[in-house]
Amino acid sequence: MNNDVMIQVTNLKKEFRKTIKEPGLKGSFKALFKPEYETVKAVDDISFDVKRGEIIGFIGPNGAGKSTVIKMLTGILTPTSGECRIDGKIPTENRKDYVKEIGVVFGQRTQLWWDLALRETYMVLKEIYEIPEEDYNERMAFLNEVLELDDFITSPVRTLSLGQRMRADIAASLLHNPKVLFLDEPTIGLDVVVKDNIRKAIQKISEESGTTVILTTHDLEDIELLCKRIVMIDKGKKVFDGELSELRRRYGQMRELGFELKNSQDFSKLSYKEDFSFSDDDLSVEQSGSNIKVRFNSDVVTVENMLSYTLSRVHVKDINVKDADIEEIIRRLYLGGGEQDETTASHL
Amino acid sequence: MLKYLRLHKIFIKQYLKKLMEYKVDFLLGAIGFLLEQAVQIFCLGIIFSTIPALCYAKDGVVLDSWSFNEVLFIYGFSLIPKGIDHLFFDNLWSLGYWLVDRGDFDKYLTRPINPWFYVLCEKFCVDAMGEIIVGVALIIYSTLSMPADVSGAINWWRVLPVIAVMPFAIMIFTSVKTGTAAIAFWTKRSGHITHMCYMTNDFAKYPAKIYNGFIKTAITYILPFALTAYYPAIFILRGEAVWSLPVTVGVSVLLFIISQFIWKKGVSAYESAGS
Amino acid sequence: MKRLLRIYKPFTRAGLLEMVAYRVNFIFFLLGEIMKCFVMFFVWKAVFDSSDSSTLYGFTYDNMVVYLFITFLSGYITYSDGSYAVGKEILDGSIAMRMIKPVDFDMCFMFQELGGKILQLLIVFLPITVGVEAYRWITNGVFMLNVPMFFLYIVSLLLAYGINFFFNVIYGFLAFYLKNLWGTDIIKGVIVGFLSGATVPLAFMGGFGQVLGYLPFASLSYTPVMIYMGMYEAKEIIFYMSLQLLWLLIFVVASKLVLKSAMKRLVVHGG
Repeated sequence: MNNDVMIQVTNLKKEFRKTIKEPGLKGSFKALFKPEYETVKAVDDISFDVKRGEIIGFIGPNGAGKSTVIKMLTGILTPTSGECRIDGKIPTENRKDYVKEIGVVFGQRTQLWWDLALRETYMVLKEIYEIPEEDYNERMAFLNEVLELDDFITSPVRTLSLGQRMRADIAASLLHNPKVLFLDEPTIGLDVVVKDNIRKAIQKISEESGTTVILTTHDLEDIELLCKRIVMIDKGKKVFDGELSELRRRYGQMRELGFELKNSQDFSKLSYKEDFSFSDDDLSVEQSGSNIKVRFNSDVVTVENMLSYTLSRVHVKDINVKDADIEEIIRRLYLGGGEQDETTASHL
Repeated sequence: MLKYLRLHKIFIKQYLKKLMEYKVDFLLGAIGFLLEQAVQIFCLGIIFSTIPALCYAKDGVVLDSWSFNEVLFIYGFSLIPKGIDHLFFDNLWSLGYWLVDRGDFDKYLTRPINPWFYVLCEKFCVDAMGEIIVGVALIIYSTLSMPADVSGAINWWRVLPVIAVMPFAIMIFTSVKTGTAAIAFWTKRSGHITHMCYMTNDFAKYPAKIYNGFIKTAITYILPFALTAYYPAIFILRGEAVWSLPVTVGVSVLLFIISQFIWKKGVSAYESAGS
Repeated sequence: MKRLLRIYKPFTRAGLLEMVAYRVNFIFFLLGEIMKCFVMFFVWKAVFDSSDSSTLYGFTYDNMVVYLFITFLSGYITYSDGSYAVGKEILDGSIAMRMIKPVDFDMCFMFQELGGKILQLLIVFLPITVGVEAYRWITNGVFMLNVPMFFLYIVSLLLAYGINFFFNVIYGFLAFYLKNLWGTDIIKGVIVGFLSGATVPLAFMGGFGQVLGYLPFASLSYTPVMIYMGMYEAKEIIFYMSLQLLWLLIFVVASKLVLKSAMKRLVVHGG
């Protein structure tokens, strides 16, 4: 195996069995006597590698299977088939060894002892991970510096603000100097300044300790500022895997031309695809009544040419041209993923 | 193993610190428990005030009988292994009631220690001290209240083997809770199944001979709570049921293996919560 | 009355649905709880075997068995945990949302609870009464259920439920003062259980038991159970059921008063 590869995921699959319940009283009684089940493929054949020291963004819409993948990578769930290795180790085979290599932060759920002073949590973790005194002190000093824990380390966890709690949680997951850090929504619910601090801290930790980071988030700013590479999944399948810049290159030249026709019948006079010989990837046209939206790759045809072609053929009331920003690209990718609809549920 | 003992000590210390933050709750809980035991014993007293001794009769022939003091002794003894399990391993209940259901079990799997042990020792249930104290007090009180010739005839050396077997008796409680709580890994919640099985320990508080054959077999071998109370108590009192000591060890080890098997299977079937 | 039923029907339905969803848990829980009855079943058998007389304080062994199981049953049917719901809503402030709706807020809880009881009738009431009657029939060779008494029992049980419900609503309002109901709940359970004769019939307690008979706790289960067993004469039935009615009235009025004062506090706190 390549020494540079820290995480290796191959053909990972996870299926769940769910009870189908019809709504209402009748449904409840039906479920009482004759329950029906369906198999849901939460993760369907996903493979990817992560290099040592890399920060990757793991994104996808709600219910795409993100957390299921993360939970398999962290040894919480057992895969239905396929495997994941972290530094060559398989989570289900030797869980105790495996989890020593990883740190996990679930943004919505704290791992700290709610009623105790923060310091107490760290003392317990020190014992659990068998961290030698010397390493512990050194590590604590480093985390203290990056995450500024000193102000609240003696307060009970329940009195911490959300931002403080998140910093404390990140420190807790890094005490044992793991090779891989999983961050699930680390900036959720935080205000802009706090978000910024947390991002800087993550960056610094990754640089100084060489920690590999897997980040799931709904906040695309997190991704833009932290990750070079993203893996996107939707409906349990991988839909994109590459550098952020590649995403931008591939979709970044896309422009959106929007205009309103004076006469909606005129639409038939426009045949961009044939006249400019666009490939499928480079062009999409949407019509709703007299409003037309044309997304096209400006490397293939310049904006100027598109405009003059359009204006020479039809009369328009209004016209505008927009850049596709990263958020827009990802939104489109999500939608695109939604189009390749296929039933993953089969009744048993 | 040493690491686990040290960890357990740390957890207990943390838990006691937490307890200090909720003194009133703890106090009210303890009073409630003491009151419950007092009422139970008061009612036992009322019941026994109508008869000289509790008899086990078949076809009108009295085969065995226990004085009120002996019944109190058995009752008190039953609280000790139960209380010790309760003191150290109470957290298994939360597994069946909400840890799995809410997905909170995730936490236990991301630590480099045995998740079963982690769940077990995370909570230290000081309320159970009440059970143990009441149990010991009842044993002392009932012994002192016995006529001198009866209590004088007790060979107190018999306490030693009973103490030696005690960890196995405690493990019967722990294994029953483990095995039934682990069902939650498939069904999300199983606290009620644990409750049902756990409640059969009520049978063990009284002489096992008064029950019919089915129940007697069940509480000796299947949910073997009689091995944690009646048999060791009657062994101390009268030297009867010597066989129950090795049986306790055997049955307890078997139950432990079965419960660990269910647990292991359960953990790999764990589905967490959410998507 | 018709209007009342229409308004509160959704609450009843919600209670029933919840019960259906939790039926399996409920049945296991029930089996665990009923274990205590079986333990006492054998203990009493041994006690009667040990006694020279075939009756103890007017109870035969068969009486005792019926007493055990019917007391358990009555406790279950009249059980009310409105206190939890009220306490929780007070603590998290959501009670304010109830107050602004054009429905009586205690009635919402009651009908929701009653909805759940519909299913309980099926899985608790039916099997236990059938079981008890079958037991009496087999041991005595005659069918012993007294139908008029059974109806009086049902009426008495409904009164008992009402008393328990309003008692618990009042108790739930204590959440304003005690931040946590958990510890006090255990204490309440033990006291109510003992004073209502759930562990040992009040008749066994002599003069003390007689006094307890007048307290509201006896109205919760002792009265209906004694009626079921036919242990009361007509005069006693009238007396004890009137007593139940009186306690019900007292608790309804008291709960309204507590509600009123609690509302004031709610306004002060800004809910």
